[in-house]
Amino acid sequence: MKRIVFLFVALTMLLAACSSPTGGAPASPLPSGEGQGEGNPPVATDAPNAAGEFDLNNWDSVLAAAKGQTVNWYIWGGSDSINAFVDNFYGKALKERYGITLNRVPIAQTSDAVNQVLSEKQAGVDPGAVDLIWINGENFFTLKQADMLYKDWAQKIPNAALVNWDNPAINLDFGHPVDNQESPWSSAQFQFIYDSARMSADELPRSYTALKEWACAHPGRLTYIDPSGSGGFLGKRFLKGALYELSGGAQQWLTFDQALWDQHSPALWTYLNDLKPCLWRNGETYPQDESELVNLFANNEVDFSMTNDIAGAGRWIADGRMPETARAFVFDNYMIGDFNYVAIPLNAPHKAAALVLANLLLEPEFQAAQILPENGFGLGYAIDVTRVTDPASLSDLETAAAKLGDAATPAADLAKSLASDSAAEYQNLIEQDWLKFVLQK
Amino acid sequence: MKRSITLVSRFVLYLILIAPLLLFVAYTFSTRWFFPQPFPTEWTTIAFQRAVNDSRTFSGIAQGLSIAVLVSGFSLLLGFPAARVLGLRKFRGRKLVWLFFFVPTVIPPLAFGMGLNILFLRIGLAGTIAGVVLAHIVPALPYTIFTLSSAFARFDENYEFQALALGASPWQVFRKVTLRMMAPSLVVAALFAFLISWSQYLLTLLIGGGRVITLPVLLFSAASGGNPSTIAALSLLFIAPPVLVIALTARQLNEHGNEIREQY
Repeated sequence: MKRIVFLFVALTMLLAACSSPTGGAPASPLPSGEGQGEGNPPVATDAPNAAGEFDLNNWDSVLAAAKGQTVNWYIWGGSDSINAFVDNFYGKALKERYGITLNRVPIAQTSDAVNQVLSEKQAGVDPGAVDLIWINGENFFTLKQADMLYKDWAQKIPNAALVNWDNPAINLDFGHPVDNQESPWSSAQFQFIYDSARMSADELPRSYTALKEWACAHPGRLTYIDPSGSGGFLGKRFLKGALYELSGGAQQWLTFDQALWDQHSPALWTYLNDLKPCLWRNGETYPQDESELVNLFANNEVDFSMTNDIAGAGRWIADGRMPETARAFVFDNYMIGDFNYVAIPLNAPHKAAALVLANLLLEPEFQAAQILPENGFGLGYAIDVTRVTDPASLSDLETAAAKLGDAATPAADLAKSLASDSAAEYQNLIEQDWLKFVLQK
Repeated sequence: MKRSITLVSRFVLYLILIAPLLLFVAYTFSTRWFFPQPFPTEWTTIAFQRAVNDSRTFSGIAQGLSIAVLVSGFSLLLGFPAARVLGLRKFRGRKLVWLFFFVPTVIPPLAFGMGLNILFLRIGLAGTIAGVVLAHIVPALPYTIFTLSSAFARFDENYEFQALALGASPWQVFRKVTLRMMAPSLVVAALFAFLISWSQYLLTLLIGGGRVITLPVLLFSAASGGNPSTIAALSLLFIAPPVLVIALTARQLNEHGNEIREQY
């Protein structure tokens, strides 16, 4: 009897072990051909849904097909102010102008939506559940590799004319070609945040070298976001900025070069290990995402936070998460900026409505609204203001930029310190080597 | 002396139970409450209003409640016969059957959730309430079976035989003897299933695929954003139904306790 029981336990453990990797590794490419069904004819994925046929080259046909549809937008739901912005601005406009209902599906992380689409692919489900995903970087690349993205649309929507598609910061997403499979929504740039009630602007460090000096003069008052954590995006940005400064330039990191990495990365680990004893909790632990760092900052445990928002501390102040005296600032150099996008899955049930929404995101009036912290979003323009010809829209955009207020970094400082992100291959290298050479040391 | 010690320890116990709730209330109705302020300085109902006025909160509560009630009902239906046999009969392989029912409590939900998701996508149950209910039954069933089978282990079948001998039909026996005697355990078992389903996040998200949105899904999404006021407001709404259900059934549970005492 006992032996049978033991066998049974072993068997169930084995089963559990077999099925878990499916959940843990969204990045692993799925077996191709899976989900087409045995013997079934392949699904004609390019054919428009019978309910709403449209021709992408004829925008009126898209609008007609989209009318009455509900667009399921899978979007990170962790910020109340962003949620409210999406509902109040895009939700209302979609309904009033195009007769489209916006169904905002809040998710904890974008990879949840990616997993959903990949599961649907595996099961051969078409149409699926997801119409539009807020996406960039690794998640975009995963879906693109899985061939699960709607193709060749991003430059065909009318407002694509306002986007500078020749800009490599837009047509490359972490070094991966966008190939018209996603359309930009907004831009972001790495910045620091301090509390003007605790220190004055002229005490602020303006380079990574100065930051180290400051940190060791104020032990325990600085930390950075774990580059391997759930919100490691900003943490990696902080490290890459340091790498740029230590190697004396940003341009060389745009293409991947292992030799370059081998040459300069030791200096980065030396810098971070020198910094470590001066950090919060002696660098033994790090905040996992921006939100945790914001809590440490607001509760007076550390003196600097980090953000990607063009509105600086504005959204955090509006959210009640930071004191009203919080201000953003940048170093003189190497503040990395980039764009984020929306993509439509290949099996999206309401592609026409998703296209209308993607186009609406680029409308100058909404671009002007999204940068203002009081509206709750606080990320920057995706469009190139110089391409806007309508004088009313242009003045909207300029007024909005002028209204960003004290909590934001002045536009001139942002522009002066702007650097492009490095090639995508460095993402994993930085994360793995940081774990090896800094955290576990 | 002994009396005052009892009183003090009682008070401390209540305080320990209530303190987290008070903290939730304080966070819900305040903003910018940062260290080193000992108490909130800015009071506001914005976060609570936002949570209550959001139509998703209401539909999340409604969907979560109906799912939990269905799960609780089906778990009883499935668990009752199984528990009766396990509690009252001895047979070959009984331990194996026990283990089989025990398995869902040791296998992580993600493991069977991913498999279920793909199966449900194929048969069209993914993203439906029915699919989510079925998925929730998997972790809920063991608890109903354990609760009921331990009650059946103390159950004296002779009462049923007596009723039969006195001329009651099997249906009457079931209704007037078995159900009556099992009522307190049924309430506890139903409560277990309800609570497990109500607090289920992972399975709801996996099987619901973002189309079945219950309160825990909203809560986890808010928690990832880290705004303490929003998290606290949703948490208050999240603990309300279980607290209400337990308060309403406390009498039943209490009687159940007395009954056990009488038995021994």
